[in-house]
Amino acid sequence: MKKRKSILEKKISRRKFVKNSVYTGLALGVFPGILTYPSNALAESFGANINWRQAEGSEITVGLIPAGYFKNLANVKSTFEDLTGVKLNIEMTPPAQIRNKAMLDFSKKTGMWATNCTDPMFYYLYEANGWVDRLDEYLENPKLTDKKWFDYEDIQASWRGTTSVKGVPYGIPFDGEATCQIYRKDIYDKAGIKPANTLDEYLSNAQKIHDPKNRLWAAAVRGMKGAGQNMYIYPSILAGYGGKWFNSSGKMTVNTPEAIGALDYYVKLQKSFAPSGVSNWNWPDLADAFGQGTLGSYIDANSTAAVINNAEKSKVVGKIGYARWPKGPSGKRVCSIWNWSFPINAALSEKDKVATWLFIQWACSKETQAATSHKFAGAYKRVGVNRNSVWKNSDFQSLMSKMGDNFVDTSIKSYNQDTDADWRPRTAKWPAIGGEMATAIQSALVGEKSSSQALIDAQAKIDKLMMG
Amino acid sequence: MNPSVKQEKSFAIMLAAPSVLVLIITTTFPILYLIWSSFQNINLAMPMNDGFAGIENYIEMFKDKQYWKSFRLTIIYTVSTVSLQLLIGLGLALLILRIPKAQWVFRLMAILPIVLAPVVVGLFWRTLMLTPDFGIVDFFTQAIGLGSHAWLSEPKLALFSVILIHTWQWTPFAFLVLLASLASLPSDLYEAAKIDRASAIKRFFYITLPLIRPAIIIIVIMRSMIALSAYAAIYAATRGGPGTATEILNLYAYRTSFLEVNFGYGSTLAVFILVVTVSVATVLYLIRKKNN
Repeated sequence: MKKRKSILEKKISRRKFVKNSVYTGLALGVFPGILTYPSNALAESFGANINWRQAEGSEITVGLIPAGYFKNLANVKSTFEDLTGVKLNIEMTPPAQIRNKAMLDFSKKTGMWATNCTDPMFYYLYEANGWVDRLDEYLENPKLTDKKWFDYEDIQASWRGTTSVKGVPYGIPFDGEATCQIYRKDIYDKAGIKPANTLDEYLSNAQKIHDPKNRLWAAAVRGMKGAGQNMYIYPSILAGYGGKWFNSSGKMTVNTPEAIGALDYYVKLQKSFAPSGVSNWNWPDLADAFGQGTLGSYIDANSTAAVINNAEKSKVVGKIGYARWPKGPSGKRVCSIWNWSFPINAALSEKDKVATWLFIQWACSKETQAATSHKFAGAYKRVGVNRNSVWKNSDFQSLMSKMGDNFVDTSIKSYNQDTDADWRPRTAKWPAIGGEMATAIQSALVGEKSSSQALIDAQAKIDKLMMG
Repeated sequence: MNPSVKQEKSFAIMLAAPSVLVLIITTTFPILYLIWSSFQNINLAMPMNDGFAGIENYIEMFKDKQYWKSFRLTIIYTVSTVSLQLLIGLGLALLILRIPKAQWVFRLMAILPIVLAPVVVGLFWRTLMLTPDFGIVDFFTQAIGLGSHAWLSEPKLALFSVILIHTWQWTPFAFLVLLASLASLPSDLYEAAKIDRASAIKRFFYITLPLIRPAIIIIVIMRSMIALSAYAAIYAATRGGPGTATEILNLYAYRTSFLEVNFGYGSTLAVFILVVTVSVATVLYLIRKKNN
C-alpha cells in the first residue's frame, strides 16, 4: 500500500511557493474583508461611528479591584482586544491598597496604570495635582467619541456628578451602588410593620422587633472607623438632618447643631438596637449577620444583595425586602453615592491616552454593561450597572427582582431621587478629612466622647488641615 | 601585601559587590530618601506648599498631641507584649520540660501561630474570637458569668485585646527558644544544689535564670524590634480604633502618610520610629555584650 506523505514530509518547490504566495496576495487584495471581517463585525455590534482601531498596536495596563463586577469585565476583555487591536493587561489590587498605589503612580508620573478604578472622592485631589486628564475634551472630539452612541447622559446623573470637578468630567463611572433599607420581610410582616419612611420610624420599627435574648438584633449600620465605613453612613444621616459640609462662606463646618443631632441619632441607633461589637463592623459583617438571621434590618449598599442572596451561605433567601433611606427631620432622604470610575492618567503618551479612552468607552458602554451583567454567561451577574437604559431593560429587571421584594424600584428611585454629588465633603483634602471624621464618629459611637465633643475636636483638627 | 592575598581580596570584593549593591539600593537608599523627605513639605493634598521645610516637621511633631499619645501607646504595647511573652513562654517551657514524652507535639503546636501572617491573625481575632455575642471569647466569658464585652470597641479593652493578640501569636517563639535553652542546661549543677538542699525556687533563681540569661536577652531584643514595628495585626483588628485608642506610632505614621497623604510629616514620624528602634536595639545589644 502506498504510504501518504505527511505535510511535513512534503517538499514544497520554489515555483509552488511563489505561485501560492501570489494567489494569497491577490485574494487578500481583492477581498480585504478576509482579514478584517471579525473586527468589523465586532465594531458594527458596538455601533459607534469612530475608528476603533486608531490606537492599534498599543498596550495598556488597567488597575482593578478583585470584585465580581470587575472579574466579569476581565472575562470579556478579549472583545476589547479584538475590537481595537490594543493589548489590555489587567492588574487586580485589593481596595485598601489601590488608592495608595494609584497615588504613588500618579505622583511619580510612572504611567504604570493607564487607568484604574477610582474612588469618586479622590477626583478633587487628582485634579488639583493635574494627575488626570479632563474628559470633556475626549467626549467632545468626534474622532474619539460618537456622542450619540456613547450617550454619556444615560449614565446615572448623580454618579456623573461625583466624578466631575466643578462641572468638568474627570472619570466615567463603571459600577456603583446606593444605600437603602434592607429588612427581613417575614419578621416585619409578622410584627405588622412596614419599612420606615422616616428616621424616627426606623427606630420605632426596631423597637418592635428587637429581641436579643433570642439572638435577633433589630437594626444596624456600619460602625467601623474609616472614610469608607462609618463616614459612608454618617453623611446620609447628616443630610437627613439638614446638615451641610460647608457654610455659606465656604468654610468647612462639622460641629453644627444638625451635625450633633445626626451623630446623636447614629449613636442611639447603634447602642439601642445593634449587636454590641457593631462599632467595629464593616458591610461584610452586617451582611453575614443578616444572612445568618440575627439582624432584623440594616442600612447599607444595595450591592450587598448579592451576598445575602447567596443560598450557600444565607439563611434568609426569599425573606428579604428593600426600601429607600428613611427621611430625616429636614424631610430629605439621602443615600450614598458610591461608584468605581475610570480616569485617564495624564502621564501617558498621546497614543496610549487614545487607547485608554477607547477602553473606557468600551467598558462603560451599554453593550459591555449588559455583557457583564444580565447577558453574562457565568454565575455572577453584576448589580451595579451604570446606565439608566440597562436598569429599564426587562431582562435585567427580571433578573434583579430575584434579589428580593421591591429591589428594582428601590434602586432606581435611590439612584435618581435620593442623593446628590455633595453627599460627602468634596475637597482635595478628603483623604485627611475623611480620616478625621471617621475617628470622631467612632469616638462618639464607643462612648469615648459625647457627639458634641467629638465634633468640636474634629472641627479643630479640620480647621488646621484646611489651613495647612 | 602579598600579591596573591591582594588578588584574593579583590576577588572577594568582586563576589560581595553585587549583594552589597542590592542591599544599598533596597535598604540604605530608601532610608536616606526617608530622612530627606522628613525635612520636606510633601503634602499631595496641598501640592502648592511643597518644598524644603527644614526642621519644621520635627517641631510640629513635638507639639502634636496625637504623636505623644501614640508614643505612649507604643511604649505600653511594647513593654507589655514583650514581658508577657517572656513570662508565659518561660512558664510553658518549664512545664513542658517536665513532660518526658511527646514534647514534639507541643513544639509543633507552638509553630502554628508564628507562621500565620499578622493580618490573618488580626482578622481571625476580630471576627472569630472577639466579636461580642458571636465570638468564642465572649461565649466563654458569658458562660462563666463575666458577661459580654465589646473587646475591640471599648478603648481600654481594645488596647488589652491587641496586646493579647500579639502575645498569643509570638509567645510560642519565646517558648521554643527557652525550651531549647533549658533542655541544654547541665544536670550536675542541679544535682549538686539538691544535695546542698537548695529549694526549687532557689535553684530557679540561682541556677536556671543566670544560665538562660543569654536566651532571654536575645528574646527581648528580637521581640522588642518586632513589637516596635507591629502594624498589620492591629490594623486588621481595630484600624487603630476605637477613636485612636490603639493607634501606635506605626499606625499614626501610616495614617498621616497614606490616608492624609502628608508624606513629609509621615516621613518625620517614620524617622522617629527608626531612631527609637535603633536606640532600643543598641542599648539591649550593649547589655548583652557586657554580660558576655
